[in-house]
Amino acid sequence: MGTENPGRPNFTTRPTTTPFAAPPQTMTPFSSSGPVAGPEASGFRPPPPASQQTPFSSSGPVGGSNASTFRPTPPVAPQTTVPFSSFGPAVGAQPSPFRPSTPARFNDPSVPPPPTTNVPPTVGPFSRFPTPHYPSTPQFPLTAPPPPSRPPPMGQLPFQPPAGQAPFQRPLQQMPSVQMGSPPQSVSSGPPSVGVHQSPSDSSFPAPLPNSQTSFPGYARKQVSADSQGPPTQSPFLTQGGYGAPPAASSPFASQQGGYVPPPPVAGPHHMQHPGSGPPLGGVQALTEDFSSLSIGSVPGSIEPGIDPKALPRPLGGDVEPKSLAQMYPMNCKPRFLRLTTGAIPSSQSLSSRWHLPLAAVVCPLAESPDGEEVPVVNFGAAGIIRCRRCRTYVNPFVTFTDAGRKWRCNICALLNDVPSDYFANLDATGRRIDMDQRPELTHGSVEFVAPTEYMVRAPMPPLYFFLIDVSSSAVRSGMIEVVAQTIRSCLDELPGYPRTQIGFATFDSTIHFYNMKSSLTQPQMMVVSDLDDVFVPLPDDLLVNLSESRSVVETFLDSLPSMFQDNVNVESAFGPALKASLMLMSQLGGKLLIFQNTLPSLGVGRLKLRGDDLRVYGTDKEHPLRLPEDPFYKQMAAEFTKFQIGVDVYAFSDKYTDIASLGTLAKYTGGQVYYYPNFQSTIHGEKLRHELARDLTRETAWEAVMRIRCGKGVRFTSYHGNFMLRSTDLLALPAVDCDKAFAMQLSLEETLLTIQTVYFQVALLYTASCGERRIRVHTAAVPVVTDLGEMYRQADTGAIVTLLSRLAIEKTLSSKLEDARNFLQLRIVKALKEFRNLYAVQHRLGGKMIYPESLKFLPMYGLALCKSAPIRGGYADVSLDERCAAGHTMMTLPVKKLMKLLYPSLIRLDEYLVKPSTEADDLKIMENRLPLVGESLDSRGLYVYDDGFRYVLWFGRVLPPDIAKNLLGTDFAAELSKVTLCERDNEMSRKLMRILKKFRESDPSYFQLCYLVRQGEQPREGHLLLANLVEEQMGGTNGYVDWIIQVHRQVQQNP
Amino acid sequence: MGDLYVWLVSFFFLIALLALVVFQLMCLADLEFDYINPYDSSTRINRVILPEYILEGVLGAFFLVTGHWVMSFFCGPYLYYNVKLYMSNTHLVDVTEIFNMLHKEKKQRLFKLFYLVFLLFLSIFWMILTALEDHE
Repeated sequence: MGTENPGRPNFTTRPTTTPFAAPPQTMTPFSSSGPVAGPEASGFRPPPPASQQTPFSSSGPVGGSNASTFRPTPPVAPQTTVPFSSFGPAVGAQPSPFRPSTPARFNDPSVPPPPTTNVPPTVGPFSRFPTPHYPSTPQFPLTAPPPPSRPPPMGQLPFQPPAGQAPFQRPLQQMPSVQMGSPPQSVSSGPPSVGVHQSPSDSSFPAPLPNSQTSFPGYARKQVSADSQGPPTQSPFLTQGGYGAPPAASSPFASQQGGYVPPPPVAGPHHMQHPGSGPPLGGVQALTEDFSSLSIGSVPGSIEPGIDPKALPRPLGGDVEPKSLAQMYPMNCKPRFLRLTTGAIPSSQSLSSRWHLPLAAVVCPLAESPDGEEVPVVNFGAAGIIRCRRCRTYVNPFVTFTDAGRKWRCNICALLNDVPSDYFANLDATGRRIDMDQRPELTHGSVEFVAPTEYMVRAPMPPLYFFLIDVSSSAVRSGMIEVVAQTIRSCLDELPGYPRTQIGFATFDSTIHFYNMKSSLTQPQMMVVSDLDDVFVPLPDDLLVNLSESRSVVETFLDSLPSMFQDNVNVESAFGPALKASLMLMSQLGGKLLIFQNTLPSLGVGRLKLRGDDLRVYGTDKEHPLRLPEDPFYKQMAAEFTKFQIGVDVYAFSDKYTDIASLGTLAKYTGGQVYYYPNFQSTIHGEKLRHELARDLTRETAWEAVMRIRCGKGVRFTSYHGNFMLRSTDLLALPAVDCDKAFAMQLSLEETLLTIQTVYFQVALLYTASCGERRIRVHTAAVPVVTDLGEMYRQADTGAIVTLLSRLAIEKTLSSKLEDARNFLQLRIVKALKEFRNLYAVQHRLGGKMIYPESLKFLPMYGLALCKSAPIRGGYADVSLDERCAAGHTMMTLPVKKLMKLLYPSLIRLDEYLVKPSTEADDLKIMENRLPLVGESLDSRGLYVYDDGFRYVLWFGRVLPPDIAKNLLGTDFAAELSKVTLCERDNEMSRKLMRILKKFRESDPSYFQLCYLVRQGEQPREGHLLLANLVEEQMGGTNGYVDWIIQVHRQVQQNP
Repeated sequence: MGDLYVWLVSFFFLIALLALVVFQLMCLADLEFDYINPYDSSTRINRVILPEYILEGVLGAFFLVTGHWVMSFFCGPYLYYNVKLYMSNTHLVDVTEIFNMLHKEKKQRLFKLFYLVFLLFLSIFWMILTALEDHE
């Protein structure tokens, strides 16, 4: 796994069993160890007699290896122990136990040596891991003798007993009961030569190795010395090398190790990944692993859980898009548009029921493309858009042309369609169309078709923006109106769709004010409607005006808006009636409604009550209604808005409870978005609002859109998650959609058995572009159908899975307690890992190791982060109701990459970078230098930036050199940091900081990250800004990462 | 003789109720097969929900008043369920979530349908019995 299985394009080749067949032959000497690796016993068995010796030799080899590859590994001895630990149970005590374990593969060789009972066990462990590790196994014999010599220092204590064997047995037996035979494991594993070897290769887990070596130095030597055979053993190694390919023994190891996380010897736990399991036939290919594992266990006699926190997998590289599918089907659309939770569709319902994670797709139809990769626009002109007659699939790279180019076969329903004469082209000798290169729709997974008039119900609408602004006294006080007016004014030039763009404004407090901005006027005219029970729209024709015609009136209005209500003392809000009025105004055209809301709606329909102040309901079954809209009015309005193609974005600013749960409904069903600025003050949050509103207004927006996703026969999309409204069972209505929205959909198999080899997915988004053209954006992807659950795990995409899980969990919080949502997450993860474990439990003896597919190594981490994310975490006191709802609404729309960033934010140390002179290249480097989110990452002499994609927190260590603080903050560097704002000062350091922050922001433009400053020890700000977000830390009743892993692991092992 | 009329009236009540429930089911089925959009479907369904509830309540009261304890007892669970939905304000179908709720809504109405058919048989049985007794 660690190796990344570059070679595995073919699913079929995968079978793990075959791979080894070859190696055994080559390796006979090795066989003892080798056998382990090779799942197949057969290969090995023949050599038994020789092999027996060999095993020893192998052990010798270990020693020998020390010389060559292993040297660093004096720990080898420990390795040997390791196997024990894992096998512990089997080894139990004597040969007999052994046999059972070994029989399959090793029997002969290992058994004979039994003198050391351990030997066999070692073998066993290896067997589990097909990888080369075996060399270590031989070591066992060695270890047995040396035991006395072992240094007690490590967790090894159990082993220390002078009599080598006796001690061993002890541990072993214990192990089974404990489940985690970790101590032994640790000993064995940590030291395991493998780990050591890997260390060089593994960049990620560098630390552990050295430790391991040091810990067991005595061992190795003894072993070496003890083994006269050592030298012979080396040769076996070489043979192993043969497996991998490279002759050098060490090299093969390295390959294995790729995946590895070397565990620190002391802790005992480590991370072993076993790349080797799937070696291809003939040993041509590098050994690759089937799964990764993590030894978990407590050291007997100590309370500490035996996990080395450093060895745990962490997504420090951010979200990684799956590549294997793209390699297999190069014409698939890019993963930024469509990601599947697994790149392999199960072939039967029974298989899919064993896949406990969501089977789903995450679609971001308008994702921003980097320069040079824009989606090509295709205009078929007179030919019309080429679609399948039966299933309405659009022509795509996977269709095949036959009958000399006169027919094409639909890849989704296999129907033969006629090629229209305008679209006809001859086929060349290979059956390709000769004009293939000029046809982007036949070579690109993503294309945009210009839709003819059949795709229009009405003339394409112009981009239309309507602003509904709260002007009650609290809104005035916060300064929101001023920022909004300025921002809109500055964006007027960049609004998409010039010269057709339309614009309109209304404001409300206890009455509703409309503005006549007819182009013939010089000044806007204000009209007040105070009849809230029967709202009407005065002058319906002049309230929405063409921006280019009325530009000067609009500008005058925006300039005067802040001063107009400057002295407003009205504290009421007729939000509901204002909403109805906006609907009436916009229903002709549709468009985008931007709501700026500050005061809890108090008049007319849709008035809301203060909710959530009764503490007794929290944690009970009555809690979840607080997260649902209180008044059905909002749902009805949302439905009406969608019907008339109006998308709603809600900007909420209140410092008090403002019922985001109800207001957010408007955005939820209209494809909009909720922006929440609690306790808005223009001096502090103005920049954020300015940026985000500007982006909202100027980003490319698709109007009056509908989206449908089609897929092959036998597969069906069953549920959809995100911000949209379903127009029919599979049609998503999206009045306004843009690049920052992603939608998730789960699929299920309709037939018990799929007969097709490949499932095709086609996302089609029919929309009106701002330029007034009706277009269809089509993304097509092919995915293989597999019969093997292991393959599904191998192709799993953590990012997509976590996106799905987060949406499901958030939806769960709307119908039950927060705790249920967390349990739901945990259960799904546990079930998935348990099923995976069952896959390998028979082949490999797993002992106390936690195993997981390499592709899902970050899943537990993200699961934990999800449980600690704002919508789901804790209880009443942890997150305010409004923030919880706002975060929930936001997370329901986030594309995969942004969500991953939010769940596992980056923490980067800046002080060294600031002090040292640096170049542009350093800027890039520092962005990749992410630290794990644990308290230990924070050094009190440092300056750190924490970035979750929505805000930055600059953390000043307590003993940070004062000149840095002074340079960055100016003279008030000693003051309380909550009152200090960061701005560029006249020195190199400050400029550098601002430059790097700017870089960060440019890499992530969908939101503006406001910079919060906090000093170490500054409570409670530090706790709530930063410490509560260190997701790996244990705090306030939540698990730390280590505890979480142990908890998950325990549940995985329960009732298998 | 009066009893016979009671059964006749209840028979028509039940037929009316059945018609209302079947109508709702048809709307839901149409929605599922995309013959109708969710807006129309939910308005149509919501229009007849309250009449259905009231009719059912009246029927129960009618049985009670006319002294047919057993039948009014049978009407009880149905009535209780309706009142519960009404009190929790979930009796109307929600246009925004209608597709997610489709299965639940259909199941609920199918249950109602079977229950009404059961009541209908009971009342027909009593009606015939009464008619025969009257005849003798």
